[in-house]
Amino acid sequence: MTSLEVLKINGLEKSYPGVKVLKGIDLCLGRGEVHGLVGENGAGKSTLIKIVAGVLGADSGRIFIDGNEVQIKSSKDAASAGLCFIHQELNLISYFNAMENIFLGHEYPKKIGPFVDWKDLRKKTVKILTQLDVDIPIDIPVAYLTAVERAMVAIARAFAVEGNIYFMDEPATALTDLEKNKLFKVIGTLKNQGKTIVYVSHNLDDVLNITDKITVMRDGMVVESRDSSGMDKDSLISAMIGRNLKSAFPEKAGKAGDVVFKAEHLSNKNVHDLCFEVKAGEILGIGGLVGAGRTELLESIFGMESLSDGEMMLNGEKFTPKSPSEAISKGVVLVPEERRKQGIVLSRSIYENISMMSLRQLSKAGFLAHRKLKEQVETAGSKVKLKTSDYTNHVGTLSGGNQQKVVFAKTVMNRPGLLMLDEPSKGVDVGARFEIYTIIRELAEQGAAVLLVSSDFNEMLGLADRIVFLKEGRQVFVKENDNMDQERYLNYCYGRDI
Amino acid sequence: MTDSRIIESMKEKRNTGKFIRTWGTLMGFILLFVIFTIIRPDVFPSGRNIRNIIEQVATLAIVASGVTVVMVTGDFDLSVGAIASLVGIVCAMLMEAGINTPVSIFIALLLGTAAGFINGVLVAYGGLSAFVSTLATMTAFGGLSLLLSRGTTIFGLPENFRFLGQGSLGFIPFSVILMVIVLVVVYLMLEQTTYGRRLYAIGGNEEASFLSGINTKKVRLAAFCLSGFFAAVGGVVLTSRLYSAHPQAGSPFMLNAAAAVFLGMTAFRDGEANLWGTLLGVLIMGVMGNGLNILGINTYVQSILTGVIIIMAVLLSSLAKKKA
Repeated sequence: MTSLEVLKINGLEKSYPGVKVLKGIDLCLGRGEVHGLVGENGAGKSTLIKIVAGVLGADSGRIFIDGNEVQIKSSKDAASAGLCFIHQELNLISYFNAMENIFLGHEYPKKIGPFVDWKDLRKKTVKILTQLDVDIPIDIPVAYLTAVERAMVAIARAFAVEGNIYFMDEPATALTDLEKNKLFKVIGTLKNQGKTIVYVSHNLDDVLNITDKITVMRDGMVVESRDSSGMDKDSLISAMIGRNLKSAFPEKAGKAGDVVFKAEHLSNKNVHDLCFEVKAGEILGIGGLVGAGRTELLESIFGMESLSDGEMMLNGEKFTPKSPSEAISKGVVLVPEERRKQGIVLSRSIYENISMMSLRQLSKAGFLAHRKLKEQVETAGSKVKLKTSDYTNHVGTLSGGNQQKVVFAKTVMNRPGLLMLDEPSKGVDVGARFEIYTIIRELAEQGAAVLLVSSDFNEMLGLADRIVFLKEGRQVFVKENDNMDQERYLNYCYGRDI
Repeated sequence: MTDSRIIESMKEKRNTGKFIRTWGTLMGFILLFVIFTIIRPDVFPSGRNIRNIIEQVATLAIVASGVTVVMVTGDFDLSVGAIASLVGIVCAMLMEAGINTPVSIFIALLLGTAAGFINGVLVAYGGLSAFVSTLATMTAFGGLSLLLSRGTTIFGLPENFRFLGQGSLGFIPFSVILMVIVLVVVYLMLEQTTYGRRLYAIGGNEEASFLSGINTKKVRLAAFCLSGFFAAVGGVVLTSRLYSAHPQAGSPFMLNAAAAVFLGMTAFRDGEANLWGTLLGVLIMGVMGNGLNILGINTYVQSILTGVIIIMAVLLSSLAKKKA
C-alpha cells in the first residue's frame, strides 16, 4: 500500500424486507486516491453510499476513519467525520435559490445571534462556484435554472464545508462534456490536496479515465477491487454482470410473424410523426436518451394520451384506445417503469396482484371463480418462474426480482398480442434479471409482439431485434440490431448516422 | 445467546407484535365486556340488555358498512350523517303527503344513493379530495334538511312505518335482521366479488390499479353511491325507530361511523378497512355507551372515553407494528 488508509469498511450488511442488498461489503480507500465504484443497477452502490452518509442505518458492519472506528447515525455525524456527498438524486428545494440550496443543512454564516449574514453567504457561495469554474445565477429559485445548472448546484453542495473524503454518486449524468471536464478538473485539484474521492458512475470510460483504483460491486458484494491501470471496459463489464456479455442474453428469434402493431404518423403533444411496425415474435427496441419521448410513446399506445394526428393499427384494424382498460381488453399490455408505484399493490397478496388485470375473465356474474383463479394465477406464476411458497403472501414481502415477475405474470395472464416493457429490469438483482430476459424472449416466441424501452444499453442491445431511435419526440432512425455496439447505439441516440 | 436463539427470540417478538395487531382490538372489546359484567353482573350481561345493545347499534352498523366500502379505497365520507337526516325528513314528508309507505321508502333510498352519487362525481371525476367534497355536501345536505323541515320535528307518521325500527320477528328486532343482511351483503361484496377486489386494489395503489385496466373513477363513484345508499337505509330505520323525523337526527352517524371504521382498521388486518373490524368498532362503541349508561355515568364523559379509546387502539396497533 503506497497510500495511507483513510477509510475502511468492514463487513457492511443491509437488508430490506425480503431482499438483502448488501452482503458483507469490505472497502478500503487511500489518501489522495480517486476510487471508482461501479456495478449494475441494484448492485448496492447507492445503498452503500447512503449508509456511509448516515441516511440509512446498516444492519451490521464497521466503519473506520483514519484507523478509528466511527458510528455514523446521521448526516451530521458524516459531516463531522469529514465526509462530503453528491447524491444521485439532486434533492434541491426548487423555490430556494442556489445559495440556500448549497448551504442547506449546514450552518449558515451568522451575524449576531440567530441572524443570517447574507453577505457572507453570498461570498462563500461565489467562492465555491469559482472553484468549480461555473457561472450560475444565485439569486433566483433553482427551479428557473437549466438542468445542467441545477446539477452543478447539487455538486457545489459537497463543497459547502471542507471535507476529507468526497463521495460522488453519478454526478455527471446531467452534465454536458464542458461541465464534466470542469468537474474532473476539480477532482484533480482535490486529489492533489490529498483528498479522497469516491466516484460512482455507469460511464465506464469516465471511470477508467479519472480513477486510480476501481471497485466492482455485484449483487450486494464486492467482486473485484484493484488498480484501474490494469483494467479495461470489457473486463469491467464481465465483472459487473458476472458472466460474458454475449452469453447473458437468450438467442434472438429466427422468424417474425404477421404485423401486430403499426404506427402511422403517430403524433401527440410528446411525440411527432412516428411510423413503425412490430411483428409477432419480434422485440422492437425504442432507443433514445432520457426525454426522447420513449415512455410517452408507450403511454400513447396504452390509451393514456390521445393522438393529435396519425393513427395506430392493431392486427390490421384501427386502434384508438381511450384508457388502459380499453387497451388491455384488446390485448395490449404495459409493464410500467416504476414497479412499486405503478406495477403492484404492495399490501395485497400475490393472487390478487396477478389476477388484477383479468378479473372479468376469472369471475362469474361478478363473483370470483376461486378455483379457476387459483389455477390460472399459479400457471402464470410458474410461467415467469416466480419463486414463492405461498401465493397468499403480500407482494411487499417479495424481492425486487420476484415483484417484477408478479408484474409480468399479471400482464401475460391473457396472452397479450402486444407487450410493452418500460425498463423491465429496473431494480431487479442480476440473477433474476437474466431470468426476466429469458421470459421476455419466450413470450415473443409464443407470438407476442414486444416493444422495449430500456436505458440499459446492454439490455437493449442484447434483447432487441430492431431499434427505433427517438430524439426529442421525433423518429430519427430505424436500425436492425446486427451486433450493434454501445458506441454506435449512442451515436444513433444522439441522431448521428455513422 | 447464540445467533439462532437471538433469531428465535426476534421471531417471537415479531409474532407477539403480529398477534397484538391482529387480535388486540378484539381482546380490548372482550376486556370491556368483562369489566362491565364484573361491575354490574345483575344487569349488564342479561339477554335483554345484550339484545338492547345490538338493537341500539343496528342503524350505526348499517351506516358504517357503507362508510367501510368508501374507506377501503382510501377515501372518506363525512356526509353520511347529513344524508341519513335528509333521507329521514324526505321520507317522513312524503308519507305525510299521503304517499304510501313502501313508495316513500323507495324514493328515500333513491335520494340517499343520489346524494352519494354527487359525492362520487365530485371526488372521482371532479378531482376534489374526499374530505373537502363530503364536508361541503354534508353542510349543504344539513341545510337542506333544516330548510325542508323548517327546523322542526315531523310527527304523525303512518302506523305501518313503525315496523322497520320497532317491530320484531319473534325475539329478534327487525332492525337487527336488517343489519345482519347488510353485513352479509357488504361482506360478500368486499371479499368475494371482482368489485371488492378492485376496491382493495385501488386502496392499496390507485395508479397501479388504473394501469392494470381498472376503471378507478367508476369504482370510486360506485363506492360513494353505496355509502349514500346505506346511509339512507340507516336514516329510514332511525326515523322509524324514533317514529319521527328530526333534521339533525342522523348527525351522530358521521363521527360514530368514522370512529367505528377507524377502530376496525386496527383489528384483524394491518391498517386496512374491513367489515368485521367495522362491526367490532360499532360493538365497542355500543357496549361502552350502554355500560356507562348502566353505571349512571353521564353522556359527556362517554364522548371523552370514546375519543380516548380510539386513540389508544390506534396507538397500540401502530406501536405493535413498529415493534415487528
